[in-house]
Amino acid sequence: MNFVENPFKKIAIAVAFSPRCEALLAEARQLQDKLGAQMVFIHIGKKTLHQEHYLKHLIHRFGLDLPNNKIIWEEGETVDTILEVCQQEAIDLLVAGALEKENLLKYFLGGVARNLSRKVKCSMLMLTEPNIHPTGFKHLVVEGSDHPKSEYTIATAIAFGKAYQVKNIDIVQETDLSKMALIRHEELKEAEAEAIKEEFVKEEDHKLEEILKCNDVGGLTVCTERIEGKPGYVISKFAREKNADLLVLNSPDKQMNLIDRVFPHDIEFALADLPCNLLIVQETQYLL
Amino acid sequence: MLIAARLVGEFFRKFKMPLIVGELIAGILLGPSFLGTYFPEISKWFFNGTGNVGIALNGLTSISVIMLLFVAGMEVELSLIRQQGAVAFKTSLVGLVIPLGLGYFFGRYFYEWFGETNANNILPFSLFMGTAMAVSALPVIARTLMDLGLFRTRIGMIIIAAAMFDDLIGWLLFSVILGLMNKSAGGVDFVYTLGLTLLYAVGMLTVGRFLINKSLPWAEKNFTWPGGFLSISLGLAFLGAAFTEYAGIHAIFGAFIMGIAIGDSVHVTEKTRDIVHQFVTNIFAPLFFIAVGLKVNFILNFDFKIVLIVLVLAIVCKLVGAGLGALWGGLSKKEALAVGFGMNARGAMEIILATLALQAHLIGEQLFVAIVVMAIVTSVMAGPMLQLLLNPSVNTLKNAFTDNNSSGQKSE
Repeated sequence: MNFVENPFKKIAIAVAFSPRCEALLAEARQLQDKLGAQMVFIHIGKKTLHQEHYLKHLIHRFGLDLPNNKIIWEEGETVDTILEVCQQEAIDLLVAGALEKENLLKYFLGGVARNLSRKVKCSMLMLTEPNIHPTGFKHLVVEGSDHPKSEYTIATAIAFGKAYQVKNIDIVQETDLSKMALIRHEELKEAEAEAIKEEFVKEEDHKLEEILKCNDVGGLTVCTERIEGKPGYVISKFAREKNADLLVLNSPDKQMNLIDRVFPHDIEFALADLPCNLLIVQETQYLL
Repeated sequence: MLIAARLVGEFFRKFKMPLIVGELIAGILLGPSFLGTYFPEISKWFFNGTGNVGIALNGLTSISVIMLLFVAGMEVELSLIRQQGAVAFKTSLVGLVIPLGLGYFFGRYFYEWFGETNANNILPFSLFMGTAMAVSALPVIARTLMDLGLFRTRIGMIIIAAAMFDDLIGWLLFSVILGLMNKSAGGVDFVYTLGLTLLYAVGMLTVGRFLINKSLPWAEKNFTWPGGFLSISLGLAFLGAAFTEYAGIHAIFGAFIMGIAIGDSVHVTEKTRDIVHQFVTNIFAPLFFIAVGLKVNFILNFDFKIVLIVLVLAIVCKLVGAGLGALWGGLSKKEALAVGFGMNARGAMEIILATLALQAHLIGEQLFVAIVVMAIVTSVMAGPMLQLLLNPSVNTLKNAFTDNNSSGQKSE
């Protein structure tokens, strides 16, 4: 069963008292409305009366003070503490604001949002430009690579797209044929190499068709695109060129560290320079 | 030379043999083994190994080997090795350690078996034997995986990553051996050499790679492309080669590392990569392999006993090493056996290794011939062995793979 009705029932918002705090809460309100989710607001830092009043005021102002919603204040190392709270609260989606691009040093050392995205065990939404008057999402670019996780990611993106009534969803298959050069130069003629390439593509197209068949896309316009090149890099480039407002990617297979930035993991190409908002989809793994 | 290599290569291709077999045989026919023995005057007229012709031929061989190693480096993808994680590491580790260990052991304690008499040179020699047993032929492995229907699966990528890692370590080790040889010959200080080499390797694979990746879009915008890429990449390969040669280690290592740094860039498209491959493997590879045949008398130096020992040792090392590695990496016994045969093919890389060892006087001509024969036999036997394993009427291995793959996909 591929159809995901509502993948995000419990959403956490990582709140920092930054200039974008209000806009982030405005986006949270929209997420609550669109997905009907329970909201948890997490702030890591010393609780002061002033900040407490301010946060409560904002939550009230954006209509987020529903009985099910809650605020969690914790002290400690920001990333690890947020991850612990997500684990304890069995969060489905963590939302944080993120700069489109960090300077090189900060990128390698790791800012809060990016470090969260590398370690979190639930899905994560990184908003590059949260708006006090949220405009929602209109164009989604979704990873459709030949990977076991893509099935769930596509289903989640479709469910998310339906909730937000997006106009277009582009499901992108990234084809890395760099290894073809290995085989081709030794033994294959041009036509033989092309035939092999077509066979690969055909197989992947078929798998994607099967995935899409299992999903009720409703009134959404879903297109499939195939792009050749380095996975992670080409899909980010595609999202930027198409002016997409949300890029949806599979979660990495393992927790990432500094080495994955030096020898970039596919997802690091997107994190290095976010082309738009980013949703990293993960089937929640918490053991309750 | 080029035409002869192509003609004989294509002739052997008709019999499903790799091009390299024909290219080597063309060299043997034109060299001292045949033409030099039976038609010495013609041979002397054509391939006068002394004076300017000899210098030119040596220069051509050096350029070819640098380019071949540069292309081999371009095939190594560090992020793939990293992403495949522990499984690829396990597969590569066993696939590397067992052949390396066995090769070293036999080289160290039974060196007379290989026609080696100089016990003073035994450390670099035994290290070389280990490396010679461990080296693999990435294109043959890729082809094997494609025949198995595993090329673009997770298992396939694990094996490719493992082979890449083995090659990286193998070439690093071989460069160190040549450095050791250089030191024993009174060359540059070994610690200094090692320090410079490590600095170069780490620098190129981190900062250098980053800078190359950042510079390529600018070059693409301002230069004719992919012609510009060809000039820049080969130019950088020669610069890298020159640096490691200066550092006291062989030029091949510089080119190999530069190949990794350039090939890893996201801006190198399949088409660009293919152009470099075609240029090097269709012009410089045939010249190199035909030159191998021209250098040595294969008939005179063919010692059946040494050939047999090298062949058996090589097959056992790789079948056991790569097979166990693949088994540990999560493949079934049949899959592991097939991978073992695929990785057993030594291909062009082994011949390059042996040629450089011969040039450095690390091995004698008899062992050189034995290694070349081993490289050819293991490459030629990979195809039929896999066909045997893959033929549904003989074995249901291919179906088993297909079933495993499809069920694997569904269950995940």
